[in-house]
Amino acid sequence: MDFDDSDRRHPASAPAPAAVKILIAGGFGVGKTTMVASVSEVAPLRTEEYLTVASVGVDDVDGVADKATTTVAMDFGRISISTGLVVYLFGTPGQERFWFMWKDLVHGALGAVVLADTRRLQSSFGSIDFFESRGIPFVVGVNCFGGRQDRTVSEVREALDLDPHVPILMGDLRQRADSRDLLLALIDHLMAGQSVATG
Amino acid sequence: MWVNHWADESLEEDPDDSFVRPYTITHGRTSSARDDLTLITVISTLTSPDGLIDNRGLEPEHRFILDQCRTPCVLAEVAARLNLPVAVTKILIGDLIDTGRVSARPPLAMAAGQRPDITLLQAVRDGLRRL
Repeated sequence: MDFDDSDRRHPASAPAPAAVKILIAGGFGVGKTTMVASVSEVAPLRTEEYLTVASVGVDDVDGVADKATTTVAMDFGRISISTGLVVYLFGTPGQERFWFMWKDLVHGALGAVVLADTRRLQSSFGSIDFFESRGIPFVVGVNCFGGRQDRTVSEVREALDLDPHVPILMGDLRQRADSRDLLLALIDHLMAGQSVATG
Repeated sequence: MWVNHWADESLEEDPDDSFVRPYTITHGRTSSARDDLTLITVISTLTSPDGLIDNRGLEPEHRFILDQCRTPCVLAEVAARLNLPVAVTKILIGDLIDTGRVSARPPLAMAAGQRPDITLLQAVRDGLRRL
């Protein structure tokens, strides 16, 4: 005598694949969306979230308006590894202060790729600090458009004050193979961390 | 409340419009009762045994989600294709979960805890090498 049919419903197609995510971080204009576009199987998608933030430096005449709502946007793409596993690449919003309020963005990520531009390495400091302080594994990719390399890996490592174990790769993010190699470097870095952690 | 759009590229919509409209769709609800939905929770539309999707009495946005998730799709992608913010999309998907119209699969990394499984990493590496 059970007329509730909800337990007899079936998935409309194949079972849902498992999903994992990797963050693509770095300063404004450093090539996050370029990298997502070069390896994603779909054109980069854009999604938005509303964040409530404490407003700073806003006229506060009546002492009430101390909160503001900000729209933060990010681009993302996907790589189907198999029918049962899909990797999502999320280009993080350029300003790290928003990541604190968007915990869903960072939470549960396998790791991160921090992109850097040798002409303004300082724009990647915030991302590196964020991941270092939270123990989130990351690799650094130096975007060399058209093969231009005006710094060596060791110069970049020194300028960014990176630990010796953090991989740094030079590459042209418009090239799928270079972006793929950055992701592979991250996975190898994660696997190396696993073998250390498990003895 | 003041409204400030922030993004890598400026958004061209009228901010007042883009804030008000989504919450009209959710009948004024501003947050989901569910806190288990993430950006990469995989949403799958459920059908009756004869393959029918139950979209009776639903809003157009709900119908769009049911159509989109015939092929399983993560929440962030549903939001992007609906052109609605993540928070609003979570409310709409929550409605569909509560009424048994979609199923939700949580992301792997969270289900497995802090450290990803080594076999998962190997599978990702093998897949990336084929790119």
